[in-house]
Amino acid sequence: MISCNNEPSLQKYFVENTENKDFIALDVSPSILNLDQTKLSLEQKEAMKTFEKMNVLAFKVNGSNKAEFAAERAKVAKILKNEKYQQLIKFGSGKEGASVSFVGDDEHIDEFVLFANKENAGFAVVRILGKDMNPTSIMTMMTALKNSNINLDQLKPLQEMLEKK
Amino acid sequence: MKSAIQKLVFALAIAFMPMLNFAQGAFDKFDGQDDVTSIIVNKKMFDLMSKVKTDASDKEAQQYLNLIKKLDNLKVFTTKSTRVENEMKASANSYIKSAGLEELMRVTENGRNIKILVKSGSSDTQVRELLMFIEGGKGEDTVLMSLTGNFDLNEISTLTDKMRFPGGDDLKRATKGSKGPKGAK
Repeated sequence: MISCNNEPSLQKYFVENTENKDFIALDVSPSILNLDQTKLSLEQKEAMKTFEKMNVLAFKVNGSNKAEFAAERAKVAKILKNEKYQQLIKFGSGKEGASVSFVGDDEHIDEFVLFANKENAGFAVVRILGKDMNPTSIMTMMTALKNSNINLDQLKPLQEMLEKK
Repeated sequence: MKSAIQKLVFALAIAFMPMLNFAQGAFDKFDGQDDVTSIIVNKKMFDLMSKVKTDASDKEAQQYLNLIKKLDNLKVFTTKSTRVENEMKASANSYIKSAGLEELMRVTENGRNIKILVKSGSSDTQVRELLMFIEGGKGEDTVLMSLTGNFDLNEISTLTDKMRFPGGDDLKRATKGSKGPKGAK
């Protein structure tokens, strides 16, 4: 509130909390999609090039960190209120929710941010980073993903977290 | 002394500015309540969607993109709580009065009242806002939906075909030939 010089960013937040034991951090490379390059159209290949990586940071609620959960969730929510993050869609209630925001402008998207949270379970922030992504390339990627054989191994830690609830 | 107060007021004004930005809508208070589920689609989303390049020969897709371009915000609030339903009803009623919405259609289906209202724009079928209120009951959700933009009522049926949101079918019935003949464009 007092000064904006020390502006918090998601980037910083990720770095600060990667080692924190309440968090699970994951870096996911495009290889997770396990796309058969030979079956992609030229357009799809071009579109896939704009996607660089995905970073996931998840907070897991256990018996003793409820207060931290509320505090950390509030921190992320505050960061996402920065006008740099343009919100696209929001869904949810007081107890749980999800939102999608992006950074950049319409035809040159640098980053998508997914933020999902659920009371008593935890929250996750997903950053999808790319280079000059645009709405058309995203749609093209989506269609390519339909034929992908997603390799979920990279997401194992998250799956485990969800299963434990 | 006086200047200190002025400074304080100024500081408060700045501190509250962002909140004012977020509290633009008449129904935003329902957002984030425990027993309310909300879906909010911002203009940016419609902007992005409208920039997807599609095959120009695909008429349906073109129609759809044309409409999307004209949309500003979609807000849907649903609840099972009677307390919230009453609050929603009250907010909707006072909003309808203050914003000058006109009733487009009212149906009762299985004992549930469905009201659809519009705020007209430059012509009869041109709409600036579409508001729908579906009463709950029998374990069904109460739904309050507001769609703003500057679009033609007749175009909405393309949207209800593509997206499935609560009351879509009723909306479709309401928009089909409800306001005079469809003018040729």
